[in-house]
Amino acid sequence: GFGGKGGQEYVNFERSTEGFSKGTLDRSTAARLKLEHFYKVTLDQARERNERRTELEKKLEKEDCSGERKNRQLQSLGRKESSFLRLRRTRLGLEDFVTVKVIGKGAFGEVRLVQKADTGKIYAMKTLRKADMFKKDQLAHVKAERDVLAESDSPWVVQLFYSFQDTSYLYLIMEFLPGGDLMTMLIKYDTFSEDVTRFYIAECVLAIEAIHKLNFIHRDIKPDNILIDKDGHIKLSDFGLSTGFHRTHDSAYYQRLLDGTLNSGGGHRQLGSEANINLTLSSKDRIATWKKNRRALAYSTVGTPDYIAPEIFLQQGYGQECDWWSLGAIMFECLVGYPPFCSENAHETYRKIINWRDQLYFPDDVHLSPEAEDIIRRLICAPEQRLGRHGGEEIKAHPFFTGVDWDTIRNIEAPFVPNLKSITDTSYFPTEDLEKIPEQPQTTERINTNVTGEYNQKDLAFVGYTYKRFDELTRKNAL
Amino acid sequence: RSRTSPTSRPLFLSPPFIEASLVEGSFKKFVVLPKYVDEDEWLAVNVFEFFNYLNMFYGTVTDFCTAMNCSTMSAGPGFEPYTWTDQNQKKSTKLPAPTYIDYVMTMVQNLINDENVFPTKAGREFPKDFQQTVRLIFKQCFRVFAHIYYHHYEQLLHLREEKHFNSLFAHFISFAKEFSLLPDKKELAPLEELISYMESKGRIC
Ligand SMILES: Nc1ncnc2c1ncn2[C@@H]1O[C@H](COP(=O)(O)OP(=O)(O)OP(=O)(O)O)[C@@H](O)[C@H]1O
Repeated sequence: GFGGKGGQEYVNFERSTEGFSKGTLDRSTAARLKLEHFYKVTLDQARERNERRTELEKKLEKEDCSGERKNRQLQSLGRKESSFLRLRRTRLGLEDFVTVKVIGKGAFGEVRLVQKADTGKIYAMKTLRKADMFKKDQLAHVKAERDVLAESDSPWVVQLFYSFQDTSYLYLIMEFLPGGDLMTMLIKYDTFSEDVTRFYIAECVLAIEAIHKLNFIHRDIKPDNILIDKDGHIKLSDFGLSTGFHRTHDSAYYQRLLDGTLNSGGGHRQLGSEANINLTLSSKDRIATWKKNRRALAYSTVGTPDYIAPEIFLQQGYGQECDWWSLGAIMFECLVGYPPFCSENAHETYRKIINWRDQLYFPDDVHLSPEAEDIIRRLICAPEQRLGRHGGEEIKAHPFFTGVDWDTIRNIEAPFVPNLKSITDTSYFPTEDLEKIPEQPQTTERINTNVTGEYNQKDLAFVGYTYKRFDELTRKNAL
Repeated sequence: RSRTSPTSRPLFLSPPFIEASLVEGSFKKFVVLPKYVDEDEWLAVNVFEFFNYLNMFYGTVTDFCTAMNCSTMSAGPGFEPYTWTDQNQKKSTKLPAPTYIDYVMTMVQNLINDENVFPTKAGREFPKDFQQTVRLIFKQCFRVFAHIYYHHYEQLLHLREEKHFNSLFAHFISFAKEFSLLPDKKELAPLEELISYMESKGRIC
């Protein structure tokens, strides 16, 4: 022992975990992480609870209403807070949700329209297969996705209400956006007018700006991730790629693309022949070809590289401006009918993006206003020159957006307002393409937290992956 | 694994471990009933969390808490082993610690999962005798804390869990004091010194 302190001998204890079973070590790591997380969350929740209370008290103070009414309102807040506490004890699992329909498919799982059995409320449930994510080393990402979605109260971001897991899947319970996504809309309409394009692109500018303000780079903005709410306004989903969700964001994958060793799905073609084909195909044909393959691309684990900025491929570092490139590519697609570098396979798309200087080509048979063409060219360009690199204001000031009221755009009437027959209307989703997917995910056991239950090493990565949102209680159903 | 403590004083009462703490400052802000919130609801969620975490930390010493190492459920030398009273047989028995603790954990888990005792569905009320149930759970959880402190603290140290465990305990006691759920003096005796120390440091309020 060392010198005493306050009369007590300091004990010198030699620590060693030699001879401890792996199960014990895993359980210990999990226990420590979970308790740390618990105190952090508990403190945050206490703080938020206090804020809600003092806010209401202040408000009631100002309103100068009757003591009885004041009391009623405070009691009502108390009931809400109490049920929020109850929610913490409520273990949601797959059995609490009934699938209405499979509405989407992504790289790591599916998206289902579900109904919470007891309340009847409607949500979108995204499943993510843990095994696939481990293979691709995507854990950091999952946490990032959850954190951003969870922390943001932005109207431009799809809200996350709960999350839970079993041994095979992570489940995200999100608000359901009944209007489908921009990809589906583009498949339906081919192209948009400049006015319609202006609306969607302007909303995207605000949405991207909002996530950048959360210190986030989306990196995978594409029409599939631009969702449409019940009023026809957009919200961004899928923050997965922020730390590299997909193969398309895997550096080794790029290297193989660059070396040309990747087996491209669409069959090999001689390089250099592309220019000729460009000339022989009319825009209409190209749109048709693009659309034929579009959904398959969306469902593949590789994903589509069509909207990804070249600096991401080149691995020379990138910043928030990479999202503005994606926006340029989406705007091109809205007006022209296919994205600027689309090709028969990922390999060629990739090469074209790298060589964007020679490959950005506006077809003769599509008319674009000079402002539209200019803004696209100022977005699809070198990162140092790209509009938006100093913030979204730069983009908003471009003449293409003349007349847009940036403060009210989310409140004006959208160009296409979904015509919904019920809260479970899925007519804006390509459900017939998804019929082969089982109604329920293949369920597995819940994670066992019993004394004797062995923790799976893999589960450690998901510590803290159970999220419940206060708003869920207070929120009115959208429809 | 040899005992490295030079004195017979339990490790958990010796510096630096007695000072180890994950959460800075007092637990007051964690335990007071939030204004306008239903007290039973507050008790329920806290019992739920205490039980889960205690269970989790006990799970890290189960390899060592065997019928051979811990043939009785006790809080250490000088304290009478605890006896388990079977609900049906009304008979008190001495049990090996792992069996005893398994009974405790199973009982509490069953209570917490019982919709009639710990309601989770919207609109369901707590039973009239809910606070009695909570008191019972606290008493048994306290015994598990005591057993771990006296018999498995070395393992906690090897696993570097002492900060966590101390904070969990300080939180548990603070909460119990706030809502008068503490077991009686005799029950508290094994950890009285630790509690006093934590009180003197302002961790327990
Ligand atoms: N909250 C939601 N409400 C309604 N539909 C949704 C919602 N989230 C996702 N979808 C639908 O599911 C499709 C796939 O979802 P999402 O893009 O999030 O999956 P993913 O696994 O991230 O796929 P990828 O990573 O390839 O984009 C979306 O294009 C959309 O049509």
